[in-house]
Amino acid sequence: MHNVWLIARREYIERIRTRGFLITTIMIPAIMAGFIFGSTFLNSKAKPDTRIAIVSSDTQLALDLQAELQPLMRGSQARAVGHPRLIVDAMDIGPDTRSIVDQELASGDLDGYLWIAPARTPGARPTFTFTPRSSDQDAMRSVLAGALSRVLLREQLAHRGIVAADADTMLQPVEIVAAHLPRHEDHESAQVSVTVLFFLMYMVIMLYGMNVARSIIEEKTSRIFEVMLATIRPAEMMAGKIIGVGSVGLTQVAIWLAAGMLLARSSMVTRLAGHSLQITLTGPQVVYFFVYFILGYVFYSSIAAALGAMTNSEQELQQLNMFLVLPLAFCFIMLKDVLETPDGTLARILALIPPFTPLLMYLRVCLGHPSPLEVTASIVLTSASIYGIIWVTSRIYRIGVLMYGKRPNIMEILRWLRYS
Amino acid sequence: MPIVQLHHVRKVYDSKVAVDDLSFTIEPGTMFGLLGPNGSGKTSSIRMMIGITVPDSGSVSLFDQPFDRRMLARVGYLPEERGLYKKMNVLDQLVFLGQLHGLSGAEARRRSHQWCERLDIAEAIPKKTEDLSKGMQQKIQFIASLLHDPELIIMDEPFTGLDPVNAVLLMDTLVELRRQGKAVLFSTHRMDQVEKLCDNIALIHRGSLVLSGSMREIKASYPRNRVHIAFAGDDWFLRHPAVEEYKLYPGYADIKLRPSPTLDQDSQALLASAIGRARVDRFEVTEPTLEEIFIEKVREASPSRNGRELSMAELEQPTRSELNA
Repeated sequence: MHNVWLIARREYIERIRTRGFLITTIMIPAIMAGFIFGSTFLNSKAKPDTRIAIVSSDTQLALDLQAELQPLMRGSQARAVGHPRLIVDAMDIGPDTRSIVDQELASGDLDGYLWIAPARTPGARPTFTFTPRSSDQDAMRSVLAGALSRVLLREQLAHRGIVAADADTMLQPVEIVAAHLPRHEDHESAQVSVTVLFFLMYMVIMLYGMNVARSIIEEKTSRIFEVMLATIRPAEMMAGKIIGVGSVGLTQVAIWLAAGMLLARSSMVTRLAGHSLQITLTGPQVVYFFVYFILGYVFYSSIAAALGAMTNSEQELQQLNMFLVLPLAFCFIMLKDVLETPDGTLARILALIPPFTPLLMYLRVCLGHPSPLEVTASIVLTSASIYGIIWVTSRIYRIGVLMYGKRPNIMEILRWLRYS
Repeated sequence: MPIVQLHHVRKVYDSKVAVDDLSFTIEPGTMFGLLGPNGSGKTSSIRMMIGITVPDSGSVSLFDQPFDRRMLARVGYLPEERGLYKKMNVLDQLVFLGQLHGLSGAEARRRSHQWCERLDIAEAIPKKTEDLSKGMQQKIQFIASLLHDPELIIMDEPFTGLDPVNAVLLMDTLVELRRQGKAVLFSTHRMDQVEKLCDNIALIHRGSLVLSGSMREIKASYPRNRVHIAFAGDDWFLRHPAVEEYKLYPGYADIKLRPSPTLDQDSQALLASAIGRARVDRFEVTEPTLEEIFIEKVREASPSRNGRELSMAELEQPTRSELNA
C-alpha cells in the first residue's frame, strides 16, 4: 500500500507542476464558457427584426391588422427573451407596388409581404397571399392568419352593432398559467447545469484516461519499468498510476466546480447570460457527480492502462483508442434522448449498462426519477465490471510493460491472461 | 550464507528457451560475473532473480531463503535498459527511488547528496534529468541502485556508454562495496572488462551454463599457451614449429602455442628466435583470455562446427544450419 501511495504521489506532484495542467485548468472552462456565451449571444443577435409589409387597397383593413399586430411589434417581454421584433408596414396598392415589394423582398429589406386582393363579389372575403422571403417565416403565416381572423371577426361584430369595447372583451385571449411540480421549478436551469457537468465528466474521463495510457507508454519507452519492477509489483504500479492521474483530474474538476459556483453567484454572469442560464447545483448533484465521475474514470482508465501496456508508441495507441472513444461518444449521442425523457425505457436500460452508466445514470439521477434500486444496481454493476476489467488489465499490464517492439496480437493477449 | 542461489532454473518464452537448467551461487563479499554474448539469457536470469518474472521450473533463493518480494529492498539493480523519469528533477528522482526501496524521505535525500558528491556529479542535483548528458544519467541511475545500501548489487552491462574515466570511477566504487562485504553481480558480454574484477564467473550460452567456478581456478586449469609479443623488424619467428596459430597486427602479434608438455621451454625458444631477427619490446606468456576459453568451450559443446574458428559475433545469433540441426 505504501508503494501505491508513493507512485500516486509522484504522479500527482509531477503532473500538477506541469504547465499543461495550468493550461487545461484555465483553457477548458474558457472554451466551455465561450461556447455557452457564444451560443446565447448568437441566439439573441443572429435573428434580426422581422419586417412585414401589408399591401392592401382597403387602408382601414391594413391599419386594423397593423394595430392587431401591435403587441408583437414592441412587446417588451418578447424582447427580453431574445425574440426578434416584428415591424409591420401598411402600403396602398399602386401601379408598381408589386415590383417594389418584390424588389425589397429580394434585397432583404422585407422578410415577407401579405397581399390583400379585394373580393371580386361584394360581401365575400378578400384573398390573402403571404409571400415569405424564406421558409422559416412559416410561423409568421399563422401569426398573420390569427391576427387577420380577429380583425375580420371584430369587423363583423361591429357590423352587427356590437360596441368595440364589448368585442374586445369577447376576443380576450384565454391564458393558461404554466404550473410545475416544485422539484422541477428550475428544470431548465438544472438541465443546463447538468449538461455542463455531463460535458465536464465526458471530457475529463477521456482526457485523463488517455493520460494514463500515454504515461504508461512513456514509461515503456524510457524503460523505467525495469527499475520499478525490481522493487514493486506491476499491480501496485498500475494502481498508483490510476490513482495519481485520477487525483489530478479530481483536483481539476474541483477547481472548476468551485470557480463555476463562485461565478454563477456573481451578477455578471447572470446579466451576461440572461436569467435562463443561471447555473444552479444542488448538493446531491455534486455528490453524485463525484461518485459517477470516479466510477467512470476508473472504468475507462483501467482499459486505457491495458491499451498503454499493449502498445509501444502514441501512434499505435491512436489505432486502439476507439475502445475508449466509442462508448463515450455513444453516451454523447444519447445525451439528447436522455435529457428529454430521463425516465424513458431507453434511458433506463442504457443507464444500467456499465460503460454508459457513469454519464447516463448521472443525467437520470439529476433530471429523472430513478428508483433507489436502479441507482444501487448501476453502482454495483459498474463496480463489478471495474473489478473484472482490472483483473484482465493487470495481467496484460504485467507482461505487456516488459514487451518492447512488436504489438501483440489477440492470441498472444489471450495467452497472457492464462498466464498464472 | 549464499546471497543468491539459482537451482535448476528454466524459463521458456513462447517458443524460445531463454534459460535452461541454470544453477549457480553467489557468496557475500565476492564479485560474480554472469557472462555470455548478447541474447544468451543473462537478463532473463536476472529478471527471475529479482521476481520481475517467475521461473517455469527450478527455484530461486535470496539471502538463503526462498524468494520473497520483501527481500527486494536489500537488492540494488542497474538494468541494462536504463530508465529514469525524464522530466523529473534529479534529487526528486533519487529520493523517490530510494523511498520505493524503503528509505525515509529525509534519509534518501541525505544519501543522494552524499553519493552525488562521491561520484562527482553534485552539480546535477537541481537539474532536470533530461538536461543531463547520457553518461551523467547513467551515474544517476547507478546511484539510484545503491542508495538503499543493498547487500546484493546487480549490474547489467554497467559500463556501456561510459567514458574510461567514469568507468574506472564506477568500477572502483564497486570494488570498495565488495570490500565492505556486499555481493556484486556483473552481467556483461564484454568479458575482457571483468576478467580482472570477478572472483567467480558463470559463462552461459543460449540459456545454458557453459562453464562456472572460481576465476582463478578456471584460469589455472588452462595451460599458459598464449604469447603476446610486441616487436619491430622481421616476423620470421612466427614460422617457429611451436606456433600453432597467430594473429599479426602492426607492431605486435598474438600467438597460440602448440599443445605440448614443455610449453615453458617452447615459449623461451620462441623468444630466442624472435630476438635473433627483430627487436622485442615486450614478451608475455599467459593463460587464454576468458573470451578464448568461452569460444573453445562453445566449440566443444557443438562438435559439428569443430573445423571452423568461431568468433563472438557468430555466437550471438544462431544460424540457420544450426536451427535445422
